[in-house]
Amino acid sequence: MADFLSAYSIQYWLESCPQGYLDGTEYGHAPGEKEPDPFVSDPMLRERAIQSTVQLVVGERCALAASSGLINAAPDEASKRYLATQTLDEARHVEIFTQRLYDLGVPKSDLESVIREHANPNLVKFAEVLLEKVDRKDFVAGVVGQNIVLEGMAFTVFEMMHAMNQKVNKKFAHTLSGTIADERRHVGFGENRIGSLIQQHPEKKPEIERMQRDMSYFMLATFADAFRKAPSEEERARIRAELGERGDVEWQGKSLASVDPSEIEALLADTVLKEFKLRLGRVGIEYQSPVRP
Amino acid sequence: MSGEPERSDDAESGSGESAPRQRFVLEETGFDEVPKKYRKYYRKWKGPQDPLGPNEVLCPVCKVVIRSTRELRVGDRVYCMACFTRFSVERASDGGLEARIEY
Repeated sequence: MADFLSAYSIQYWLESCPQGYLDGTEYGHAPGEKEPDPFVSDPMLRERAIQSTVQLVVGERCALAASSGLINAAPDEASKRYLATQTLDEARHVEIFTQRLYDLGVPKSDLESVIREHANPNLVKFAEVLLEKVDRKDFVAGVVGQNIVLEGMAFTVFEMMHAMNQKVNKKFAHTLSGTIADERRHVGFGENRIGSLIQQHPEKKPEIERMQRDMSYFMLATFADAFRKAPSEEERARIRAELGERGDVEWQGKSLASVDPSEIEALLADTVLKEFKLRLGRVGIEYQSPVRP
Repeated sequence: MSGEPERSDDAESGSGESAPRQRFVLEETGFDEVPKKYRKYYRKWKGPQDPLGPNEVLCPVCKVVIRSTRELRVGDRVYCMACFTRFSVERASDGGLEARIEY
């Protein structure tokens, strides 16, 4: 049984989330906050912001499909009720990141075509690996894929993006801080629920380890693609000059403004993989290294 | 909802230390991710440069700092309400305290 969920209820979710850190917000940020000027007026910065936000929408659409799909696969009532709240969290994430695309000037009529144009094919494959398990109502594999692998990745990516935007784009940083708070519950559910389930179903380990290896491969390929398309050194120098001190941020002990995009990619990948190893190890699953794309 | 956010009171006998525990007055730090009455028991962690007090332990699952009104000791049991995880407090290799998850 999911004893760790004995203290969890829809009431708890209401008091923590809508009546807690989301109280008074509008699409996840303070009312009236706007995208700062360079993100709307500078074509290169705007394009980069649209590209990265599209990946967030794609990832959150996958999380919405997975969490809602897992409700009917869950073996106990407490997990079903928890997943109902996660489903609403994920639907909110889809909405707030979609709203950011509108705030960046994407016309509503162009939303799907912009998403199709920018969606990273490797991120789409990452989602397909997970959703195949969900479609088969494989609860154990689905929760590992969704709440440990996908949410573990999102937790780190959101923290990095939050650090990058804290000084330069307070509106987006506020939006991200609410999603990070949601991720805490999501990763907690993943580890706690799977920690006991994997002991009951040790025969599922090899299949789950294969899924994790495949998802990790497509995640690393997504990062590689994203950083390969980074602007030239000349463009980055121009942006650094435009943003000034606001663009100088530190994450994991590195100044992100002064390092090469390939170094940021390596730092992000290593941070996410280190977390995967720790989280999977704690629930008794051995991390499988994918081939580096 | 049942359950206290910090469970160190459960484990006074688990400490194995005879000196009285230090007491701490907890104030709100702006952490708003749990229901209001429990907020003072948690704070955001600012990274490795953010030292923990003797009444604090880091949740390894969601990276929130869990705070107690009393000094924490090895054997205490704590609960992270932000991610629903239960822990026992153990001695870390650097001599500090760390949380070990109880599934």
